[in-house]
Amino acid sequence: MTTLTKTDQAPQFSRQEDLALITGQGKFTADYAYPEMLHMYVIRSVYPNAKITKMDLSAVSASPGVKWVMTAKDIEEHGGKEIPNAISVTTRAKEPQKVVRMPILAKDWVHFVGQPIAFVIAETALLAQDASELADIEFEPYDAVADVQSALKPGVTQIHPGVEHNLSADFEAGDESAVDKAFAQAAHISHLTIKSQRLVGNPMEPRAVTAYYDKEQDRFTVHTPTQGIHGMQNFLGQATGLSVEQMKIEIQNVGGSFGLRVGPYSEHVGAIIACKVLGRAVKWVGTRSEVFLSDWQGRALTLKASIALDSQGQILAFKYHDYTDLGAYTSYMSSFIGTRNLSITMGGVYKVPALYMRSDLVFTNTTPISAYRGAGRPDIAYAVERMIDFAAHEHNFDPIELRRKNFIKPDAFPYVTANGTTYDKCDFERLLNRALELSDYSGFAARLSSSKEKGRLRGIGLSTVLEASAAGNVQKDQVEGQFGPNGVLTIYGVTGASGQGHATSFAQIVKDELGLSTEHVVYLASIAGTKLIGNGTGGSRTLYGAGSAIKDLCIKLRAQVKAVLSKKWNCAVDEIELSAGVWTQVSNPSLKSSTEEVLKLFTSDELASLHALGETSSGATFPNGCHVAEVEVDPNTGVIEVVNYTAIDDLGKVISPVLVRGQVHGGVLQGFGQAFMEEVVYDQQGQLLTGSFMDYAMPRAGAMMNLRNETVEVPTTLNLLGSKGVGESGCTGSLPALSNSVMSALRPLGIDQMDMPFTPYKVWTAINASQKN
Amino acid sequence: MNITIKVNGKLETHPAEARTLLVDFLRDACGLTGTHTGCDTSQCGCCTVFLDGEAIKSCNHLAVQTVGHEVTTIEGLGANGLHPVQKAFTECHALQCGYCTSGMIMSSVDLLNKNPNPTDQEIADGLEGNICRCTGYVNIIEAVKVAAKEINGVNA
Repeated sequence: MTTLTKTDQAPQFSRQEDLALITGQGKFTADYAYPEMLHMYVIRSVYPNAKITKMDLSAVSASPGVKWVMTAKDIEEHGGKEIPNAISVTTRAKEPQKVVRMPILAKDWVHFVGQPIAFVIAETALLAQDASELADIEFEPYDAVADVQSALKPGVTQIHPGVEHNLSADFEAGDESAVDKAFAQAAHISHLTIKSQRLVGNPMEPRAVTAYYDKEQDRFTVHTPTQGIHGMQNFLGQATGLSVEQMKIEIQNVGGSFGLRVGPYSEHVGAIIACKVLGRAVKWVGTRSEVFLSDWQGRALTLKASIALDSQGQILAFKYHDYTDLGAYTSYMSSFIGTRNLSITMGGVYKVPALYMRSDLVFTNTTPISAYRGAGRPDIAYAVERMIDFAAHEHNFDPIELRRKNFIKPDAFPYVTANGTTYDKCDFERLLNRALELSDYSGFAARLSSSKEKGRLRGIGLSTVLEASAAGNVQKDQVEGQFGPNGVLTIYGVTGASGQGHATSFAQIVKDELGLSTEHVVYLASIAGTKLIGNGTGGSRTLYGAGSAIKDLCIKLRAQVKAVLSKKWNCAVDEIELSAGVWTQVSNPSLKSSTEEVLKLFTSDELASLHALGETSSGATFPNGCHVAEVEVDPNTGVIEVVNYTAIDDLGKVISPVLVRGQVHGGVLQGFGQAFMEEVVYDQQGQLLTGSFMDYAMPRAGAMMNLRNETVEVPTTLNLLGSKGVGESGCTGSLPALSNSVMSALRPLGIDQMDMPFTPYKVWTAINASQKN
Repeated sequence: MNITIKVNGKLETHPAEARTLLVDFLRDACGLTGTHTGCDTSQCGCCTVFLDGEAIKSCNHLAVQTVGHEVTTIEGLGANGLHPVQKAFTECHALQCGYCTSGMIMSSVDLLNKNPNPTDQEIADGLEGNICRCTGYVNIIEAVKVAAKEINGVNA
């Protein structure tokens, strides 16, 4: 037992959300329980590409406690559909993409290891699992296609009928002939192939769903991790074939999402159908192994990048050929990542007269891909910034001066890129200068010598990056605000947090705009029957999307408060001013009140009349940053230590500095994970080799001890708040900064390109080989 | 069979199979859902609780193994108000989604019980068995230092 003295001082809470979470009172999906609740277990494929020749589940059904064993036939009979595909693209020949949606349960063929085949529903989770071991399923295995490069080879296995060469689409953006012309005139050309390897997003809360059917109301209550109730409701409607109005999504805490929780997986459909048929609540809680096998995976992009420069180092053109691994099916955002999200900012922060990208979207016998933190944004930033660095060294330009020379200048905004993206106001030079200063870039030479004395290699690298945050799938973001008799403002919205602290940031906006103290603001995201429209969490957009709607709500409520207050103070409405949280009467400045004091003057009917709908239309914004990483490498072991990391980000107007810092920390560390350790590995037969935390390395405490970050505010005019979004910027800046720093350390040994992750073994091997040459 | 374990100072008796893991006994039988399951290989530390005052992973103990011992969960840690580590976690913004937080706090308290003045590196080493995907650990290490300072100040 701890003998420590309990604290006497009241804590200064960073967030409204925290008290429940630090005392074990949070409520995650697995924490919901219903009387008589049943439990589900999923039988999955152990083969990456196989025909199911026999499926005898009678022994499973007869096993103790088993209530139902569901197969593809049952899903069909109860109206179940397929896993939705949110986005599809057109090919270079202007034909539609070949979309293959994932069945809820495999019927006669399995296409990846981990694909669901049957649901077993029993009195307890253990009984369901016990029973599943009695399943008699026979497979006829076929050659699997484990990676993109083999998928495109002539004569290789065709995974889906009608999809020749496993090519779902060949997308293009930009002007190929302009780019080819520029390359023909170039003084310097560099080519570089970069890989953004396949990752598992790994939110700490494994995937889960609890579903309950209310017969009288003909309505389902679904508890599940989500990024927003509308996205989940709509996709649930598509996947189950039921009406969206029947779905009530109710959730208190979500243990991370990172893009993976936009819509339902197969298990949601199983639990929803089963809870109605069996008349009892059904719960499924996945294991970490199931996360590795069957959560949508991320990244999996290979970009062949080329740059054309004139003799002075002015960029003439960028050209890319991307290969996007879709996995076995098109699911949710997978076709968006290698297309829109890569190409929209393919010129990076530079003035590039000609741009072109081709992107081949390819099926493989692997777990389907969807969005993971940045969803293409970190990947294109990585390609641009590795390419710039690589070209600078190949053609003897200073990497910083080459960047400076080609920056889009502050007076050039709004700037329209060669492929038609309009960038909002940015100031790349200012960020670069601050980053160089804070990282003591000029002192690197001295630090390098001291590393050399210790027998270590040392490198410094930077990235100057920009990303396009989400434009939003829904035109408007709406919130509804209602004051209660106690003077508390309750705000209803649709975007759901998974750790970002929406309630805290939204309360801060209300405090800034209405003077109401944050403890008088409540945000509720999962209220059934809400008719509001809006976007969920994703693409860094909640703060400037829903947050701007909250600002609009506050402007409307301010007018309503003034109208009531003018009666109390017997003055005209325009006599009343609100400034820095204090309400005053212009002609009688001695009359001063805080918002709380003002609201106390109101009757409960007057408080109830304070009610408004806030709504705004906010499109994409352009968060940008300059990150500098410095690493030390032990050549004897290949172990790399990040000795210094500096992140300067322009996120527009910052609402909650503490939360913004936390978002950047988390994003940078996920970038660190990708740069140094994380990688999904399939063997050539399509078997997953990295199926647990034992063999898929995750960043641990102390991964990066010297991380400093600051923001530079260049407010955007693209939304009411002036904010640009922060969720993905840490990842976007860190992949190229870390990689460039590693290459800087290894370049003296003649190593100028290496793919992530820079594991000790890979680094040691490269160093060892270089020393033998 | 019935299993009886002293949890947070109270005797908990519930029917459970011999194969029931301690974490499932705590969550499903005792209703103490503050302890979370984050993996199936004892790597993530989301399920960290105290067994006789020392941090263990409740996913790699059978409930029956802990009969006759005393278990403390996150719910029992701050029974008389917030523990300094709980307080420091919110003050330093050392949690985002909060799923790893219960285990992270339990491990941090254990670390400070054994080493009241840890260096940054000792904190990092002490939390090696706990994975957080959101915070990047920067603020977690800060929170442990802040808590250490408060504990040492109060106990001095």
